[in-house]
Amino acid sequence: MNSKLRFGSLVLVSALMLGIAVPLAMAQDNASQDQEKPQKEEKPKKKKGGFFGGLKAISGSSSEQQEVTTTAGSKTVGEGEEIGNAKPTAADRQAVTGMEKYSISQDDLAKFQEEGQLKR
Amino acid sequence: MQPIVSRRGIWMLGALTALALLSPPADVHAQIFDRLKRATKKAEEVQKKLEPMSVEEEREVGREVAAKLIAALHLYKDEALTRYVNMVGATVAAQSERQDIQYHFAVLDSDDINAFSAPGGYVFITKGAVALCEDESELGGVLAHEVGHIAGKHVLKIVERDKTLRVGMEESKAQMPGSDYLNKMSQGILVKIIDQGLAPGDEYDADQRGLKYAHAAGYPATGLSRFLTKLDQATQQGGKSFWTRTHPPVSERNVRLEKAITAEHWEDADRPNLADRFAAQTQMLKPKA
Repeated sequence: MNSKLRFGSLVLVSALMLGIAVPLAMAQDNASQDQEKPQKEEKPKKKKGGFFGGLKAISGSSSEQQEVTTTAGSKTVGEGEEIGNAKPTAADRQAVTGMEKYSISQDDLAKFQEEGQLKR
Repeated sequence: MQPIVSRRGIWMLGALTALALLSPPADVHAQIFDRLKRATKKAEEVQKKLEPMSVEEEREVGREVAAKLIAALHLYKDEALTRYVNMVGATVAAQSERQDIQYHFAVLDSDDINAFSAPGGYVFITKGAVALCEDESELGGVLAHEVGHIAGKHVLKIVERDKTLRVGMEESKAQMPGSDYLNKMSQGILVKIIDQGLAPGDEYDADQRGLKYAHAAGYPATGLSRFLTKLDQATQQGGKSFWTRTHPPVSERNVRLEKAITAEHWEDADRPNLADRFAAQTQMLKPKA
């Protein structure tokens, strides 16, 4: 009889401890994740992988650009990078639209091809 | 004396208390649910980044690349030359196996000897490259090579493979002109095609496709190889071109082009190369005496 009561008490105490321990463990887990976040952010950013790594933002005057390339050692700003950093104006975007809308009449194209003995 | 609560009752009460204590509080439930939701969203984003681009998205990316090229190098605003380049371009592009997009052609105001293509059908040639051509079949060969890059989706495949570039594509304003996403994407493409160069295999593939388009359009198939020979000589004499800097050697490209012509038994050397028409249409580029 006594041993049954002892067993019952043991089960109750275990359940109580589990009930407290589980939420506590989860709360600790969250806290440790929150702590890890800023540490991860502090790590120096690696250059982007893949094919397009090494992009460098260029702003300001050309002398500033020169300084960027000089301090980066032998790395120079490539032509593609320079073009990539260009900031298109509304007129530039309008020019792209103009390029898309540019059309030649099918009659004119047919005549052009016929004159050149080309295939349609 | 009868106990107030039976032994079975005590056990039941104990079990219920244990269950109540074991089940985590409501805010923990919410956290678990939130984590599951975030994981599902992340999985959906990764899945989207791996999907091929739609034609519409390809066009938006190409439009941004085109805008940057025009911003940096400017269009050569000559209606007659633009019209002529569009005529030749449309003639070779009509032979491309890729017809789900429209091809657009323009001349850039640069003396460097270059030609560019961007996803979505945008093809550019510099006035320096047009001036280096001696006849229409050479111009057709160069434009057909660029159409070949678009048809072969060479740039597009790189972009689709590079997940880092597609970060931010799911944002609502990602497809707006000038968005961070399109800006980063177009920067990457321009660095790739101009500074780093495509894979040699993609260049050879564009050569072979271009060769077929030009031949199918009615031009002699040797146009591109004649242009490449001149380009090689011009850059050795100080001419600027990223074609010779980042592309496979001209000698190797020409060997492959000749092999393909022989293998196809194309005896098209007697076809008109249209040198007179070319000279008449590009006279504005000739130095004035």
